[in-house]
Amino acid sequence: METVALMSDRQIETDVIAACQRGDREAFRLLFETYKDRVYSIALYFFGGNEAQASDITQQVFLKLFTKIGQFRSEAEFTTWLYRLTTNACVDEQRKVRRLSQLEETFMADEVRVAEAQEAGLARRETAARVKSAVAELKPKLRVAILLKYFEGLSYEEMAAALGCSKGTVASRLNRGHKALARRLQDLRGLLQQGD
Amino acid sequence: MFRQHVRKNLTAYCHDELAPVEARRIAEHILVCQRCRSEYEAIKLGVALMRELPAAHAPETIWPQLEAALAQQTEQASSDATQATTEQSRPVHIADTQATAHTTRRFALFASWPRVAAVSCAALVVACLVGGWYYLRPDAPSWEVARLAGAPQIGRERIGERGQLAVGEWLETDNNSRAQISVAHIGEVEVEPQTRIRLVETRPTEHRLELARGTMHARIWAPPRLFFVDTPSAVAADLGCAYTLEVDDHGRGLLHVTTGYVALERGARESIVPAGAACATAPGTGPGTPFFEDASDDFLHALAAFDFKQGGDTALKTVLTEARVRDTLTLWHLLPRVDGDERARVYERLAQLSPPPEGVTRDGVLRLDEQMLKQWKDELENRWLPESFPAVRKAWRNLWQ
Repeated sequence: METVALMSDRQIETDVIAACQRGDREAFRLLFETYKDRVYSIALYFFGGNEAQASDITQQVFLKLFTKIGQFRSEAEFTTWLYRLTTNACVDEQRKVRRLSQLEETFMADEVRVAEAQEAGLARRETAARVKSAVAELKPKLRVAILLKYFEGLSYEEMAAALGCSKGTVASRLNRGHKALARRLQDLRGLLQQGD
Repeated sequence: MFRQHVRKNLTAYCHDELAPVEARRIAEHILVCQRCRSEYEAIKLGVALMRELPAAHAPETIWPQLEAALAQQTEQASSDATQATTEQSRPVHIADTQATAHTTRRFALFASWPRVAAVSCAALVVACLVGGWYYLRPDAPSWEVARLAGAPQIGRERIGERGQLAVGEWLETDNNSRAQISVAHIGEVEVEPQTRIRLVETRPTEHRLELARGTMHARIWAPPRLFFVDTPSAVAADLGCAYTLEVDDHGRGLLHVTTGYVALERGARESIVPAGAACATAPGTGPGTPFFEDASDDFLHALAAFDFKQGGDTALKTVLTEARVRDTLTLWHLLPRVDGDERARVYERLAQLSPPPEGVTRDGVLRLDEQMLKQWKDELENRWLPESFPAVRKAWRNLWQ
């Protein structure tokens, strides 16, 4: 049954992509609906929760995808291509908007948020907000690796293909990313354990 | 062993990306290498933190904007194509232009309602198939189950020699059936006859079963607090060990530890049970007081009465009288569970059997000073584990802390 399901999925994906390549609007819509939340989540957390930026990136990624879908080779993994587009769009966008004043603003906002969170007893929502900020402060390469892992559930091999690097590099970036998060949010350890 | 530190592979270990042999090597190494264990704890925290981030939903406004952008791009491409044909310039763009012009024609065809309906139906079927695959895809978390005897069932289906227990599924054995579950890459659970057990969760930072009734034997070689078993009246948190857990039809449980330690918990009430000891648990009360199984019958009966039958002062008196040095395990746990005069009596007997170490005072213990209680417990642990395992004792103590 599993094999059948897998084959069916591949067939569906191939059919949908072929329909997109013929300019089928409904097929575009189907692809968009299937992947939009994952692309949006990556972009949202890449930019520290900036919804407008995440919407722009999502739109940009799908526009590029639909425009270039004629070039898609069916033997390549479609999702790998999609996530490569997504990560490139995020990294490129950040290069454009990175300014010292924005970093300072983010940093100050974090301080306020931390103080508020401590006073309020560190509710789960606030924990997520702090994690979001900490993720946004990671180096782009580490950030992208972590977001691909948690929002796409990609294997190391798939991530390596999407990021254009080796599995060892993926493992190393994830190691560094997780440790950096743990260092910054060490004080949440007790809270997470209570949640268990 | 220490020459081969495992820090490079710790995230891969957490993400279940390693071969079972390598994963087991890492699990064993972490147990004895403080440096790698610290690193593992940090990465585990990182993993737990990331799981706090909820997936976001893309706003509905993106699609209309995307459609508009596509239409605009198509118009632009058509216009460029006309110009290009006329001027015979930039032939390299012609293929794209043809594609987009074709796209425009396709979009125009959607103006026909029957076609819209037909395509919508087709899209719906495709969406259902994609959805079906999503729920049936083979990489859904599951554990392998091997039949040891009889005909164990997963859900309503009998398994053959092997089966897969997915998250949310129940494994049941009848009078003649037994089964063995492979717990991710961190251990094994043997399921005895007349047992009902469910896989609640399996992820790098937590593996959890629910034992509704029956008997299971667990052998876990993972770092502490990675494997949990929910029972109707308490949660057994593995601290790196082997143990047997039983639950009867009334939801009462009995934990018996053969190696290492297990914590039996419910809310703020916790019983730490070392090898050779056991602990009962009951709905409404939670974990009772842990005890060594070689204690006297009078001691055991009195303790059961004290914990679960409101045995009161009489039961406590027998427990204190019958306690041996090794039973300081029970007395230490009793300290926060009694108050006033009873706590003072428990203290006196405990001090008589094993005097408190320097720095631990009567007043401090009676007011349940955490640091003093811990200090005394560290000292008492020497009485709780067999003398033949000093290195093991030291390792477990470090893990505890």
